[in-house]
Amino acid sequence: MEKTRQSKSSWASARGLLTAAALGAMASVSPAQQLEGPYRLNGSAVLQAFEPLREVLQSSSAVLLDDWKSFAYGLVVSPDGYVLTKASELADRDEMAISIGASKFTDVEVLATDVEWDVALLKVDAENLTPVVWKDGEEVTIGSWVVSNGSTSRSRRRARVGIISANAREIKGSSNVVLGIVLKTEKDQIVVEDVKEDTGAAEAGLQSGDVIVEAEGKKMEKREDLLDLLGDKEPGDILKVRVDRDGEEMDFEVELMERHRVFDGPQSRNDAMSGRFSGRRENFPRVIQHDIMLSERSVGGPLLDLEGRCVGMNIARANRSETFAIPAAEVQAVLERLLEDSR
Amino acid sequence: MTGGAVADNPGRLYVNDKKAPESLRDLRKIEEALQGNLGRAREATVGIELGEGGAGSGVIVSEDGLVLTAAHVSGGVGDDLVIITADGERHDAISLGLVASTDAAMVRIKEGGPFPFVEIDADDTARLGDWVFSLGHSGGYDDARGVVVRLGRIVRVADVTIQSDCKLIGGDSGGPLFDMNGRLIGIHSRVGASLEQNMHVPIREFHRNWDKMLASEFIGEGPFAKKPEPAKAYLGVAAEAREEGGVEVTRVLEDTAAAEAGLETGDVILEIDGEEIEDMENFLEVLKGMEPGDKIELTVLRDGEDKTIEVELGER
Repeated sequence: MEKTRQSKSSWASARGLLTAAALGAMASVSPAQQLEGPYRLNGSAVLQAFEPLREVLQSSSAVLLDDWKSFAYGLVVSPDGYVLTKASELADRDEMAISIGASKFTDVEVLATDVEWDVALLKVDAENLTPVVWKDGEEVTIGSWVVSNGSTSRSRRRARVGIISANAREIKGSSNVVLGIVLKTEKDQIVVEDVKEDTGAAEAGLQSGDVIVEAEGKKMEKREDLLDLLGDKEPGDILKVRVDRDGEEMDFEVELMERHRVFDGPQSRNDAMSGRFSGRRENFPRVIQHDIMLSERSVGGPLLDLEGRCVGMNIARANRSETFAIPAAEVQAVLERLLEDSR
Repeated sequence: MTGGAVADNPGRLYVNDKKAPESLRDLRKIEEALQGNLGRAREATVGIELGEGGAGSGVIVSEDGLVLTAAHVSGGVGDDLVIITADGERHDAISLGLVASTDAAMVRIKEGGPFPFVEIDADDTARLGDWVFSLGHSGGYDDARGVVVRLGRIVRVADVTIQSDCKLIGGDSGGPLFDMNGRLIGIHSRVGASLEQNMHVPIREFHRNWDKMLASEFIGEGPFAKKPEPAKAYLGVAAEAREEGGVEVTRVLEDTAAAEAGLETGDVILEIDGEEIEDMENFLEVLKGMEPGDKIELTVLRDGEDKTIEVELGER
């Protein structure tokens, strides 16, 4: 679905989006008036009014650091150091640490991961933390103010603000895991057209030209058969594949990887004007959407309403005008499952 | 941002006259105003399908389906378009006039209604620093998502452009910008490199060119639309379809063929050269086939009586 939407999305087709330079020329027709930075939506003077919410972020949001550079935020969900964050941002982190308030924790444990929702449960050795307060009951409505983590300094959290901007819904996408091959159908056979570097398929020794005959002991007649098998798999799972290579049948064990680590999504014109969006921004069972300007490095943290209650968890920066969050009720359900898994 | 603005516009949200909101109460007032006007505004915001899979937005401003949008979305005069209303229904539409230099344009839905529509800020009351909200079908129509809303302030004002910090993206082009009373104050045009550069055509640019746009004129030269072939026949009226058939003249433009021939506001054009006129599309189609200098015969209904009027067509 995301793909369909993206392909339709050029800025009013080829007729053209004008650049800032062209605007400058037009605006000079008459002297322009400008609103100074502090008074803009996320300017310092406007953010003053949100100080009570910034204080909630100060105590109940976590800053995830890799080699002392922040790469994501998290939600503090218990006084004794349980933290939720966006799972796919944890890959390939060397020296992970977490800041909460003015404290730093370097003993970060990844306890459990939910691939469907892209949420990970982390644990640090802490006590007396202030967990987020969930907004129970009715889900936050369109047009409501919401507040997220903005840039952060060593000891001080900052707020970024916006509103709920569309209907809650599912974000569809392709399966979350891949073998690392590109397939084609030739004479009713599933043929490997290309093997991507640094993937399970490459490591296992699959080659282009191999014909996929069986997977998990089942006959593969069309590519959908193979895609169906991947549907309920997770990264790190092993898929047994039998191929026909030049008339000889061979067996391979392929480790599955997250799709976005192998294949980049389509780079549409809208993507090109969207700055740094999240690696994984599709395939979520249900999200609420808001317009806070986050980047790929600032998701994973809490989404607050004006009362300071947590209405969701930021899960993806999708593009220039859309940020997705998992609604509070669903985050709590995921948390319960992850706590169960980690015991 | 002065006391004068309040006096001129009694419904104005008081937070607009503060440099910045000072408390959670001020923020809640902004939220209340936004949510109070959002339902109607979303209902009236439409998607516009273009050729080659492109998509833009627009907003309905009259019960009978007059739509304001951007010139680079409507693309020309008298072109067929498809409009998707917020309920997911698809409607055939035709582009009316546009201003190529500033990106203003009108489109009309051909049939159906009454449509949900929004009020226009007729007195041009929007000021620098005002709180505003922006709607559009970002990236194209998406039924499950619905119309997307963003909040911001007017951060820059010039004669033919206003800029807000409501973040726009492709597909929003032609969509509406509202004040906190739910009145239409601008139409989305384009973005700059920074997230703060979101440009809108101010509503005053539509007011200035209203009648000419209604009369399907291609106005100005500029980057937002390509000029059509020159020397098209020109009658010089604004008209709208009537339920019983024929098109009713809503305005006769000065110094045009229509004015010279004595056409009057309220006249209903029933036939052109014996060909029955059923609706606007049909009317524009018939005129399209004619040349400047052609002498035509209009059958017109005036004060309950048929009347024949001869017109020598002018040049656009």
